[in-house]
Amino acid sequence: MSEAVAKTGVQLSAERMYQVIVSPVVTEKATRLNEFSQVTFRVALDATKPEIKAAVEKLFSVKVEAVNTVVMKGKTKRFRGREGRRSDWKKAVVRLQAGQTIDLTTGLA
Amino acid sequence: MQVTELPAEGLKRAFQVVVPAASLAERRDARLKKLGAELRLPGFRPGKVPPAVVKARYGQAVAGEVLEESVNEATRQVISDRGLRPALQPKIELVNYSEGADLEYKLDLELLPEIPMPEFAGITLEREKAAPGEAEVDEFLATMRERLAGTEDVAEARPAAKGDVLVCDFEGRLKNEDGSLAEPFQGGTASDMPIEVGGTGFIPGFTEQLEGMSPGEKKDIEVAFPEGYQAAELAGKPAVFAITAKALKTKVLPEVNDEFAKRLGVEDVAALRARVTENLQREYDALSRMKVKRALLDALSERASFTVPEGMVDAEFSQIWQRVEADLKAGNLDDEDKDKDEATLKADYRAIAERRIRLGLLLSEIGRTNNIQVSNDELANAMRTEASRYPGQEKQVIEFFRNNPQAVDGLRAPIFEEKVVDFVLELAQVNEKQVAPKDLTAAAAE
Repeated sequence: MSEAVAKTGVQLSAERMYQVIVSPVVTEKATRLNEFSQVTFRVALDATKPEIKAAVEKLFSVKVEAVNTVVMKGKTKRFRGREGRRSDWKKAVVRLQAGQTIDLTTGLA
Repeated sequence: MQVTELPAEGLKRAFQVVVPAASLAERRDARLKKLGAELRLPGFRPGKVPPAVVKARYGQAVAGEVLEESVNEATRQVISDRGLRPALQPKIELVNYSEGADLEYKLDLELLPEIPMPEFAGITLEREKAAPGEAEVDEFLATMRERLAGTEDVAEARPAAKGDVLVCDFEGRLKNEDGSLAEPFQGGTASDMPIEVGGTGFIPGFTEQLEGMSPGEKKDIEVAFPEGYQAAELAGKPAVFAITAKALKTKVLPEVNDEFAKRLGVEDVAALRARVTENLQREYDALSRMKVKRALLDALSERASFTVPEGMVDAEFSQIWQRVEADLKAGNLDDEDKDKDEATLKADYRAIAERRIRLGLLLSEIGRTNNIQVSNDELANAMRTEASRYPGQEKQVIEFFRNNPQAVDGLRAPIFEEKVVDFVLELAQVNEKQVAPKDLTAAAAE
């Protein structure tokens, strides 16, 4: 994989950055992680950790220490007796360097 | 809370009020906490939303509410601490209300004036009384006869004279420039229409020209619509009406006898006369009361010399002025006001507004100090009278009053006014004077 080669310092276009970071995740758990300098995002399913790191550093002007990701499996739901499946999505928990924060309420420029 | 009194002038008072930021923040946090206790947000269990998230989401809205609440409360406190009686809603001007800073605002209000009680005993009024005599009753009966007049066919063949009723068809056409006739216009055609010859109500000259026509006769008459006719496309234009007379009738005035009385719903002539006398008496009494009341108000306003809150006069004046201005534009001012320019008019109506406010204040003060109150019975009575004015909808009217306390206040005000007037009339010196009914009605019409 080409991204894997460029692990230190991926080159992302601005457009791709905005595609990678979909939205912040606002839940009880995610809010609690804020205390440990961890910020949670919903990201593109095909986004890699280096990509996420680069995008967060660039878009929010912070330093990222680590990125953990998990693919959230879509639930199987029934609609009028038929089975359907919600889309999977990727969640990324980003650990920032100590003392740094992201104000999620102000939104992206 | 820190209050500085600014220099006062007349009835006006001004204060500079500072509410410390800490008390604002405390109040806001309490509100947010209360809000958060039951808040449901997706991603959180109900009531478990962290304060930081609540604040980020609702801080602004709550801050606005808190600001308003604190201003209101501080204002109330300023007023009650000093025992002030404001005339109107106080004016509030925010000086500084940025986030995290002390709230600072300016409070402007106008006080109700001290109202000295005038010496009621010194007021001398004249109450004009009148009793209806035979002549007035006869006059009233004459108009009743006119109203109940019937028609009767004329047996002999004679041309229509003034006062007869001619039943006829007519068709009206406007006259073109060259003298030819246009198509019949809307509303200009009728058949079997009884018209009083020489009567009013039509185009001028129309009914007069019917004079001399016999049944079966046809005639074209020329008339001109007056300039101010209500149908604009007809106004000021000449027209020709083709008239076909069909029958001639005369107007018959009913005799004043027992039968006539029965048509009016009373036993006989004597009862009818008694009833008419009674009605006229009631009418005269109402007139005489109105005159006494007006005289009393005049006397009171002469004696009341306290300063009137300017804001109240302004409000009243702008209300009056709005109406006057509309009249001014439409060009239908009273004759009295026609020749005055705007400045004079303004001054005149301002004086009227001031008089109204002054009297209103004085009457309510008299009522207050003498403990005059409008009882619930009286209100209920007034409500019933009001409801009976809309036959068939009494229930809805009562319902409306039940649901709209402000509307009930509108009923209360006149009752209160009457009661206060009664109270003062008791105390004042009122001389009775018998006058002829003619004089009473003539003076009232002014």
